[in-house]
Amino acid sequence: MARSTILIADNSCMIRKGLRSILQNLENSEVIQLIDNKEDVCGIVHKRKPDILIINPDMLPGDCLDVKRELFNENKLSLILLSNRKNLKNDLKADGYINYMDGQNTILDMMQEILNKNNKSSFPNKNSETISSREKNILKHIALGLTNKEIADQLFISIHTVVTHRKNITQKLGIKSVSGLTVYAILHNLISMDEVK
Amino acid sequence: MRIKKDMKLADVIQLNYMLIPVIHRFGINLGFGDKTVADVCRENEVDINFFLQLVNAYHDKDYFPKEELQTIPVKNIVNYLKMTHSSYLNDKLSEIEQKIISLQSEDTEDQKYILLIRNFFEGYKSELTEHIMHEENVVFPYVLAVEEIIKNQNFTERNREIFESFSIEKYEEGHNDVEEKLMDLKTIMIKYLTPPANSTLYHTIIQDLFKLEEDLNYHSRIEDKVLTPKVILMEKSICNLI
Ligand SMILES: [Fe+2]
Ligand SMILES: [Fe+2]
Repeated sequence: MARSTILIADNSCMIRKGLRSILQNLENSEVIQLIDNKEDVCGIVHKRKPDILIINPDMLPGDCLDVKRELFNENKLSLILLSNRKNLKNDLKADGYINYMDGQNTILDMMQEILNKNNKSSFPNKNSETISSREKNILKHIALGLTNKEIADQLFISIHTVVTHRKNITQKLGIKSVSGLTVYAILHNLISMDEVK
Repeated sequence: MRIKKDMKLADVIQLNYMLIPVIHRFGINLGFGDKTVADVCRENEVDINFFLQLVNAYHDKDYFPKEELQTIPVKNIVNYLKMTHSSYLNDKLSEIEQKIISLQSEDTEDQKYILLIRNFFEGYKSELTEHIMHEENVVFPYVLAVEEIIKNQNFTERNREIFESFSIEKYEEGHNDVEEKLMDLKTIMIKYLTPPANSTLYHTIIQDLFKLEEDLNYHSRIEDKVLTPKVILMEKSICNLI
C-alpha cells in the first residue's frame, strides 16, 4: 500500500515536532515536512502534493474556503485544522480537527479514520482473499514435492503461469517455504500426511 | 538511551533484559553487583569498544555503527559470532524443540498437528545447523587466514591454500536467509492452527520463535554488514600484495 504523506504547518516548533512524534505511531504514513512560515504554505503544498495537510488556521492564507479552492482542486488533499481554539468546527470547515488539548489516542484515532477513508477509495481490501481452486490445485502439487517444470507439464500450463500462481499463493497465505506450504496443504486436507515424501 | 562504559552493568540489564544472552556470549555472568560496564569488561578481558558498539546496536534498532564496528579485529568478530552459533545450537534450538515435544505428550487429539509442527521444526533445525557448520568450517577459517596474511604481510603455505580455495564473494552470494522457515512456522501457528489444550505452552513457543528470529536477524546483520565488507577490503589489499 502506498504511504500517505503528511505536512504539518504551525508557528510553534514544539507543536510541530510534538505532533510529528505522535504521528510516528501511525502505520503507512509519513510526515514529509514541517512548515513554520505562513508565506511558504502554498508553495510547499503545490510542490510536495501531500495527502494530508495539518495546519493552524493562523497560517492559512485567506480564509479556509479560499484555500480549499486554491489548494484542493487539483489534488485530493485532506485538510486538518490544528488549534487551541474551541468551537473551531463551527467556524471553519475541514476534514478533521486537532485541538492542542487533545490526548494522543484521540489524535491517532481521528488520523486513522482519515487514512482509512483515503485508502478505501483506491485500494480494495486485498488481505481477506482466499486462494482459488486453481491455486489450491497448484498448491497441492507443490506440497507433493514437484518442481515448477513438473507441475507445468502435468497441468498443461506454462512454467510462467506456475510461477505467477506460486507468487500469489505465497502472498495470500503469508507462507514462503515449500515445507511451510506443505503443512498448510495437510492442515486443509489438500493432501494427506502419508503422501509427503 | 545510549549505553556508556561508566554505567553500572546491572542498570544496563534493567534497561533491556534482552541483553542478558548477549553479555553471556561475551562470557560475562550475572551477579556483578555494582560494577560498571568498564570494570566487568576488564575483568573478563572483553574489548570494551566492541562490547559497547554491540550492546548499543542490539539495544537500539536505529543505531548501527557500521564504521566503528568495522574497526574491530576479525578475530573478535568471529569469536562473538561463534559464541552466538553455539548458543543457537546448544541452547535455543533444543529448548524450543523440547517445548514442542512436551506439547505432543499432552493427552489430546491434536497429536497429528503437533507432529507436523515438530517435523517442520526438525527440518528447520537441520537447515540452520548446516548453515552454521558451513560458516564455522569454511568461512571463518578463511577470514581468519586473510587477517593473518595481512598482519604478517606474508603467506604461509597453509594460508595460501586457504586463500585460494575460497572468496568472501562466494559467501555473500550463498548467504541465504535463515529466517524464512521460521517466519512460516510462526505464521502457521498464529493463523492456521487451533491451539492445543496446553495453550500456555503453545504461546510460549510462539514467543520463543519471535525472539529467535529477532536474534538471528541481528546476527546476520553483523555477518553481512560488518564482517563481509571488512573482508572485501582486506582481500583487495592482499591482491595488491601479490
Ligand atoms: Fe552465522
Ligand atoms: Fe549466517
